[in-house]
Amino acid sequence: MKIPVLDRGLPQHVSVHKSGGRDQWSAPRSEPPADATAAVWECLHEVLDPEIPISLVDLGLVYGVTVAEGAVQVDLTFTATACPCMEFIREDVTDRLEQESWIASVEIHEVWDPPWTTERITDEGRTKLRSLGVGVA
Amino acid sequence: MSGALNAADLDDTLRADLRRLIVSLADTKRILGIRYSDWLLGAPSIETGIAASGMTQDEWGHARLLYALLKDFDEDPGPVEHDRDPSAYACCDALDAPADDWADVVAFMAVVDNALTIVLEGLAEGTYEPASGRASKMIAEEGFHGEMAAAWVRRLAAGSVEARQRVAAACAGVLPRTLAWMAPDDEPARRLAEAGILPAAETMLARFTERHGALLAGAGVDMPEPDRSDWDGARGRGPGHPGLEAVERARGDRNRELFVE
Repeated sequence: MKIPVLDRGLPQHVSVHKSGGRDQWSAPRSEPPADATAAVWECLHEVLDPEIPISLVDLGLVYGVTVAEGAVQVDLTFTATACPCMEFIREDVTDRLEQESWIASVEIHEVWDPPWTTERITDEGRTKLRSLGVGVA
Repeated sequence: MSGALNAADLDDTLRADLRRLIVSLADTKRILGIRYSDWLLGAPSIETGIAASGMTQDEWGHARLLYALLKDFDEDPGPVEHDRDPSAYACCDALDAPADDWADVVAFMAVVDNALTIVLEGLAEGTYEPASGRASKMIAEEGFHGEMAAAWVRRLAAGSVEARQRVAAACAGVLPRTLAWMAPDDEPARRLAEAGILPAAETMLARFTERHGALLAGAGVDMPEPDRSDWDGARGRGPGHPGLEAVERARGDRNRELFVE
């Protein structure tokens, strides 16, 4: 039996999907940005939820970003404790950030407090959701 | 004691007390998820089965968060999740046997699941920060379970004579042991209360009665005294353990060779 090759804990075939909108990600910057934190937010804005094409930032899942000498920490929550896409999302966030040469490491800090609710969705996110036929109170 | 605490702030005795609580909560969530999952098909309606599916996922999501708290004790949760014998499981006694019928499932929702939430609410307002920071999300998700439980208790209680009798018997059957599990009256529980980590037993019992007593009374169920006979202080539950079949599913035995994490 062929043993699946592992990549960050996922079978290889999972790692070549286009979840997170990776087929639309920008090319990495050629120069380090003047504002690293803002640049990380821009990168994260390109990472889409695997189940619905809305940015993780617009969904309000990113609670914070800190950058120190190329080491990035992303404070990230999920819509549900049993979110089936947790590993996809972690992998997409890490891969998007690691494609930037000025980012040396990425640490994802799982946060549950305050709990995510639909109130955290941005106005832009609500507009996009409505365009997809999803109403948000 | 006041202020936010982590496991490193506690002495060995209190750390052991807190660990007992965390494992018992996590085990209860995991076994409850299995009991719900048995009824994803075979519930009284397709819609109800779908709701049971959502609740199953929630319970396992919560179990995962709770087992992960063991990292705060510098302990790998893996062996606790995947390698223990049934006799080591610390789930609420009421879940040791699977549900015989939908009335049993409703009793698990109305009594065991609601008791779990009472404990989570206590943790959320307590001083142990790693748990209080996670409990609020779990409690928010549990709100739907509570609504489902109340709706089904009322529905069956207002149904046929047999439906009313069966839901009353099921709830009455699991209440005494569940109350004992929810509100232990032993030294570890008292130490946790003194440390501000969890409310005292009488407080949690009062909260359960205040919150759910009227619902159960409407189904003909009186609030009993907790049954603390043969209390197992090491696990924080009564005697016995869940059956091997449930534990094999909880541990993921058949998928052991397929684990990718």
